Amino acid sequence: MSWIALSLIVWAAAFALNVFLVRHGGRSAAYVVPVIFGLTILFIWEGMVRGLNISPVLLPPPSAIGAALASKTHILWTDLVQTFFKGALTGYVMGCGSAIMVALLIDRSPFLQRGLLPVGNFIAALPIVGLAPIMVMWFGFDWQSKAAVVVAMVFFPMLVNTVQGLQATDAMQRDLMRTYAASYGQTLRYLRLPAAMPFIFNGLKISTTLALIGAIVAEFFGSPIKGMGFRISTEVGRLALDMVWAEITVAALLGSAFYGLMALLEKRATFWHPSQRK
Amino acid sequence: MKRIVTTAIAGVMALGAGMAQAADEVTLQLKWVTQAQFAGYYVALDKGFYEEEDLAVTIKPGGPDIAPAQVIAGGGADVVLDWMPSALASREKGLPLVNIAQPFKASGMMLTCRKDTGITSPEDFKGKTLGVWFFGNEYPFLSWMSKLGIPTDGSEGGVTVLKQGFNVDPLLQEQAACISTMTYNEYWQVIDAGLTADDLVTFKYEDMGVATLEDGMYVLEDNLADPAFKDKMVRFVRASMKGWKYAEENPDEAADIVLENDATGAQTEEHQQRMMREVAKLTAGSNGALDVADYERTVQTLLEGGSDPVITMTPEGAYTLEITDAALN
Repeated sequence: MSWIALSLIVWAAAFALNVFLVRHGGRSAAYVVPVIFGLTILFIWEGMVRGLNISPVLLPPPSAIGAALASKTHILWTDLVQTFFKGALTGYVMGCGSAIMVALLIDRSPFLQRGLLPVGNFIAALPIVGLAPIMVMWFGFDWQSKAAVVVAMVFFPMLVNTVQGLQATDAMQRDLMRTYAASYGQTLRYLRLPAAMPFIFNGLKISTTLALIGAIVAEFFGSPIKGMGFRISTEVGRLALDMVWAEITVAALLGSAFYGLMALLEKRATFWHPSQRK
Repeated sequence: MKRIVTTAIAGVMALGAGMAQAADEVTLQLKWVTQAQFAGYYVALDKGFYEEEDLAVTIKPGGPDIAPAQVIAGGGADVVLDWMPSALASREKGLPLVNIAQPFKASGMMLTCRKDTGITSPEDFKGKTLGVWFFGNEYPFLSWMSKLGIPTDGSEGGVTVLKQGFNVDPLLQEQAACISTMTYNEYWQVIDAGLTADDLVTFKYEDMGVATLEDGMYVLEDNLADPAFKDKMVRFVRASMKGWKYAEENPDEAADIVLENDATGAQTEEHQQRMMREVAKLTAGSNGALDVADYERTVQTLLEGGSDPVITMTPEGAYTLEITDAALN
């Protein structure tokens, strides 16, 4: 009971503190307020789980998850390498890379534009639960089949965005290039690809989280005995929910970091774009 | 005013009468999807054995993403079917599951290998890739390997372990030398896929001396303190065992009952009839009461885990004979 009372008090106090900081805290409040908010949530979670005697089999307290994060670092790292670097990242590079290539091909040929875009859409619409077992059958249990699932997942969003981006220049700009007697390649390099960058980065950002989700879910359908998806799906059966939450934490942080990295690159590459101006 | 009071009294009395008549509700969580592996319970339901005991039983099918232990922890079931290794591991993790009855005497689990991989004995596993089910079903395999002294981390002289999906493709595709199968289910899927018994070598856990008890009935320890719940379980076990014995004697009828209860429509008659005959071999030796010697052997197998045993200490109070003693006399 005291745990419940304590967490309610802490919640009220943190709430009051945040309101005060927003009103009087100045610029640093922008960083401090979300941190306090996050910590409060963790504390209430801990307090409620303890106070209401919730079985750790159903919901472990953050302290147990933290302990799992700290003590099982080597397992989490092996899983991360397997799922993220081998499965998700390889698939991401291959999927996004090939989508950009195909987008360039489509750009040159109206025939492909009519033929390939619907096929890309079709692949994107395939359910992952159906696709993953087939990929396991084709490419084996290891990370290759996970990368294949990721390729299928990221290909279409990337393709559509790039095709759209390549059409972002207007006729006047292209005519100007023609008056300079610029070749297709030169027009592409100096005008159309830079203009397409915001679109391409949009696709890249969407694909970061898709890649991670795809790699994790694909591991549910057969995998070697490592990987984040493997760990999540088996530790649930073993009632080691603290470990499941630890993997979820790692996946969430990793996904955010990956997205953040892409957003940062975008900022550097498209500094000239109106959306990046301060 | 008087009318209101009369109506209220009548209402309360009707409610009381209704409650007296209503059968006790029991929710059973199966370990896997609806199939002849659970024929006894479906037969008991269909033949009215539960009704005779004044029970209203709900049978919840399981599946690849359902851990019975977690369902009972969340209050989703009164009694669950689980394998003893998984139940004892859950117990050690702080979920006090207690075995109240054990309709399965023998283990149906085995490792099925392709002969053309050169495997003739467990010694030949080294360097091979083996398919294993996880989600709480990996414990018998892990304790067998540690008994053989074979590392499972893919290191030199060890085996490479695959997390096998719930189909037999890895064996058919030669992605694994051996896969986990049940005598009553996956083994026949391999046969149906075109391999013959001559192409295969099977290692029954039962014959390897590492058999662990499967498909027992488990309840939460706290509930057993309640005499009303105990009484309910006595009646439940009695009716279920009646169902099992009926299913053993009438396999084709039992298979039909299972098919009628299969909401997914995924099971076929031939498959279920064959499964029922194989399952009957495993349940034949049991009247429902847990054989303490079998229990001790299971615990011993799980404790002999080498560096990574399934359970680290001898469980206390993980089974009770009270229910079956009362049910069977």
